[in-house]
Amino acid sequence: MMSFNDHYVIIGNGPAGNHAAKTLRKKDKGARITIISDEMIPYYYKPKLTGFIADEIAQKDLLVTSLESYKEKDIRVRLGQAVEQIDPDSKSLVLKHMETIKYSKLIIATGSRERLLPFMSGYADHLKFITSYTDVMDYKEKIQNAKEFFIFGGDLVGFKFLKMLNSMGKKVTILIYPNAFWPYNLTEDMLDQIFTSLSQFDVSIIIKDDISTIDKKDNGSYRIKTLKGVEKTVDMVFSFNGLVPDIDFVKGSGIDTDYGILVNEYLKTNIDGIYACGSCAQIYNPDMKSYSASIGWPNAVVQGEVAAYNLLGDHKVIESVGRKYFDLEGVKIKTTWWGDINDASQE
Amino acid sequence: MEEIRSAYLDETLDTVRAADFLQYRSKDLPTWCPGCGYFGIVDALYRACRELDLKQENIVTVSGIGCSGRTPIFINTYGFHTLHGRSIPVATGLKLAREDLTVFAVAGDGDALGIGGGHLPHVARKNINITFLLFDNSIYGLTKGQSSSTTPHEMKTSSHPAGNPDTPLNPIRLALAYGASFVARGYAGDPQGLKDIIKNGILYQGFSFIQILTPCVTFDKENRTWKNLKENVVDLTPRMEEKNMETAMRLAQNEPHGVGIFFWDKKRPHYQEILRNLNKGN
Amino acid sequence: MKDIDIVIEICGSAGEGTISAGEILSRFMSGQGFEIMSFDSYPAEIRGFGKCVAHTRISSNPIYSPGKLADVLISLNDNHAISQLPTLKESGILIYDSQPARPHEEDKSVAGRTKPGMISYGIPLNMLAHKAAGNARGMNMVALGALSALFHVDKDRFTDSIKARYGKKKQVVIDANVNSFLEGYDWAKENIKKSDPYSFEGVNLPEQKEKLIVNGNQLVAQAALDANLMFYAGYPITPATKIMEILSKELPKHGGTLLQTEDEIAAIGAVIGAGFGGKRAMTATSGPGFALMTEFTGLSVMAEVPAVIIDSQRAGPSTGMPTKTEQSDFNSAVMGGTGDCPRIVLAPADTKSCYEATVLALYFAEKYQTLVVVLLDFFLSNSIKNIDVPKKPAKKYRIANIAPKKEDLKDYKRYKITKSGISPRAVPGTPGGIFFSTGLEHNEYGRPDYSQAGHLKMTQKRYDKFNAVLVEAPAPEISAMGRGKVDIGVISWGSSAGAAREAVMAAQKEGIKAASFSSMMVSPFPEKALIKFADNCRKILIPELNFSGQFADFATCILKRPVEKLNFITGRPMASEDILQKMREM
Repeated sequence: MMSFNDHYVIIGNGPAGNHAAKTLRKKDKGARITIISDEMIPYYYKPKLTGFIADEIAQKDLLVTSLESYKEKDIRVRLGQAVEQIDPDSKSLVLKHMETIKYSKLIIATGSRERLLPFMSGYADHLKFITSYTDVMDYKEKIQNAKEFFIFGGDLVGFKFLKMLNSMGKKVTILIYPNAFWPYNLTEDMLDQIFTSLSQFDVSIIIKDDISTIDKKDNGSYRIKTLKGVEKTVDMVFSFNGLVPDIDFVKGSGIDTDYGILVNEYLKTNIDGIYACGSCAQIYNPDMKSYSASIGWPNAVVQGEVAAYNLLGDHKVIESVGRKYFDLEGVKIKTTWWGDINDASQE
Repeated sequence: MEEIRSAYLDETLDTVRAADFLQYRSKDLPTWCPGCGYFGIVDALYRACRELDLKQENIVTVSGIGCSGRTPIFINTYGFHTLHGRSIPVATGLKLAREDLTVFAVAGDGDALGIGGGHLPHVARKNINITFLLFDNSIYGLTKGQSSSTTPHEMKTSSHPAGNPDTPLNPIRLALAYGASFVARGYAGDPQGLKDIIKNGILYQGFSFIQILTPCVTFDKENRTWKNLKENVVDLTPRMEEKNMETAMRLAQNEPHGVGIFFWDKKRPHYQEILRNLNKGN
Repeated sequence: MKDIDIVIEICGSAGEGTISAGEILSRFMSGQGFEIMSFDSYPAEIRGFGKCVAHTRISSNPIYSPGKLADVLISLNDNHAISQLPTLKESGILIYDSQPARPHEEDKSVAGRTKPGMISYGIPLNMLAHKAAGNARGMNMVALGALSALFHVDKDRFTDSIKARYGKKKQVVIDANVNSFLEGYDWAKENIKKSDPYSFEGVNLPEQKEKLIVNGNQLVAQAALDANLMFYAGYPITPATKIMEILSKELPKHGGTLLQTEDEIAAIGAVIGAGFGGKRAMTATSGPGFALMTEFTGLSVMAEVPAVIIDSQRAGPSTGMPTKTEQSDFNSAVMGGTGDCPRIVLAPADTKSCYEATVLALYFAEKYQTLVVVLLDFFLSNSIKNIDVPKKPAKKYRIANIAPKKEDLKDYKRYKITKSGISPRAVPGTPGGIFFSTGLEHNEYGRPDYSQAGHLKMTQKRYDKFNAVLVEAPAPEISAMGRGKVDIGVISWGSSAGAAREAVMAAQKEGIKAASFSSMMVSPFPEKALIKFADNCRKILIPELNFSGQFADFATCILKRPVEKLNFITGRPMASEDILQKMREM
């Protein structure tokens, strides 16, 4: 049994982090457990964010657990605090507000954030994303008041958002990118299926096109021109082009990364005592001799538990097959995928 | 018989009227025991006021608790019978608020040196311009004969029937040590001599400390009696120097029955003068 | 137009300019027309780096209590600010240094201890202070600058206020402060995304009047000077010492004398001596000193000599907690001492009333020839409020001795029995007015008199005199909801009355029918008014800062009905939130 002085730190307050914490506490009553989250809200259902924007649900309905349940389990939650860097040599991490925390063992479960298309980086200021509660709180009121929207991309959240805007009576134009699900690519057939399914909604759909320019006008609205000459003036522009692991703070620490944190089949990184799980991790499959990435709640849950078990000395191996499929307008999208990012035709 | 008595009375009245200090004497009958030394003190006080021609309404007599506390009743001035040990602070406040008045503070030995002992150092070192009369009969008279701060060692009293275990304080040495600038001792059995000392005390612009040796005829029948005092009191004036601390201390230590002015710093400013000088500087 | 009511706390270590930052902030806000109330706390040690907190409440409406919790906490020193976090509201704002010289150890950072719901703004206070003036001393001004940017305070007006405050200092000092302020302001404007609702812009303010920014001690001293005080004797004791220090400078300028005595017994003795001499005199003390003065209070009442004692209450009993506020000297002030000893007691309810109470005290003492005790407390003595400049007292209040007429002096009876109980008083120096005063029971001439009839007559006289004061007493402060019965009547005294008043206003907004009652005159107590008030209340609540409910017991005797007690001895002033919570439960 672990001693009272052990301090297990989990970076990330999503499903992976929370299930890891729950598992750790169940198996080790004495250790100190701290969850660090850069958001100001306790553990919440990210998929429900779109409903929250439309005021279909209240903030309390977003939450998975209350703060009291953390207290009951004696888990310390640091909300609104971001990790600036990790120093494995001294087994400590520095928070953005300049506080140093020492850990015995570490689990990184920071999940993923919006992917900004490389050629769109010049327009980053004009684009809005919805990947977190913080984002939503920033624009919620603006979304409710705006009338015309432009969405480009087309990942899971994007379509959900589109349907929500539609139900709110907003005018929406969507430009669908094939590689919105990066690193997973939508095939021609998939795109056609999606197009057909979307046509039942009152939206403008643009396919097989690309954005040429986005200009912000003095009155705050945006004018968009596509390569094929389509022009639209809208109040808000949203980008939904998949997710990338949120791991910038890991760079330079000595932990191996690719676009996510590289872990073995036991979810352990190249450094002893440091684990990663959820959509921020790339997991090695010894049979396939390649790394898999995953998205989605169920994957995160199981990975969080496994990381916790293994941190405590167990040797559970994560399943090689992903948890589930997502349904995207009738198209089945896998939640786990393998291989090199550049090999975009993988299914 | 009647004739003789009325002649005696008439003669006494004539003498008293001739001395011309009746206006300082109140109508109330004294409650002090017959033969009490306090009568002599008060007599000297009347004479001093008369000779200085002080108006009664401009005099305040402040007393503490004890037989000496009754003093203001028998003197025809404004009077304030305060609390045990506290005639000095009250007299201080009164004088500082009313510089125009002549203020006497009177207290017994138990009152001034026991419970009131903490006030003496400060009224002396501040040099508050009041005249302080210490009615020293070395006993607590009003409460019927207990030891006081100046009761001699081993004397039998009602609180120490086997003999007083304590060593008495020396009031003159205390006053000198506290920095009083007018320190004198008088004797209740010598109204003229005491009158002169009191006069000088009143005239002195600063704190005048006057210890007065007086018997308690009711509760001290062996130590401080009229007989012992008469035999032992001696006028130290020829041996005294005006402003020599060592001489003063020596005489105070060695001559417990010596009377006269032990110390007299005529140049030292009194409290209000000091304040005025300091405030002028600002 | 909107309102604002915000509590800002600045927490730092001694020597970091915490208190002066609070003072600059409150002075500025007062000048802009806001009501301000500050209650700072200082470390116990004389030297060193103990914790300082500048606590200021700023409102566009009248303020009656300092506020229990803070809306904003500015941390100039994380170590100390951590212990101050519990008083930050759950949705409060924390401003902290985002770039300390080196990272804090685990849990030594105040930003790491915030609860969810709190908003944290990290500002590089240290870095900006160095940028402005080359050292860390301006951190407090950097913080004020950031605060101003965040809450839309006019930058130029604030810098004008800083220049006015430091006007007499060297230019380099003024510049350092102004530049630090501007660095904080500009940085915050550029870099911080505001996510709180507070703003000073566009607030509806009452008409501007010239205000005095003072604490209770300063007002007591000022009132005494305006009311003809001629003599002060005192002994240093927390929290009353400041009164003596102010008077030691000012009283001589008014022709009076100040005496620092060897102890409190000498102090009250001297006050009584001066009072006997016909001059207004006063002393100020706290619990332990007041206890020493007990014997003299009897003398003042028995010998009918005017005296005023200011008792600034601290936590007791005995030496207690000198820097904590409490209201536990009630019994001692109203009923202490031996014998049937009625004395006048005034308990001002807020800072501005400290002036009126002192004027009245000196007036009553002189006119009714007795002891008056004014009960303040640590909070009233030290908390700072901006108030309208008090009106100087009319002549009637400055000269009040009832002198004997010519006929009286023929056979002058100092303690003549009269209808009112007040005997015309000759002052020493008056020919024909010679009298004798004593602590013994006495007859009309002042001569000792132990007869049964005499003692009864004189005691009755002293009580008649005492009860006569009620006619001139200031009316109780009652806030009621129109006519008709209320569910809860809150009866309070002293500094608790402000919190009670606020609690009642808040309760009314929540639909609870409530009213509040407080009286500055506590002895004799306006019993009729109290009974009339209580008759309209279904339930009575009496909050006070003592353990046993001293005033509640006193009021129960008057009302002859049970009351609900609410007692706190936290050492902190009464909080309206706590009273409101209790009212909800009742």
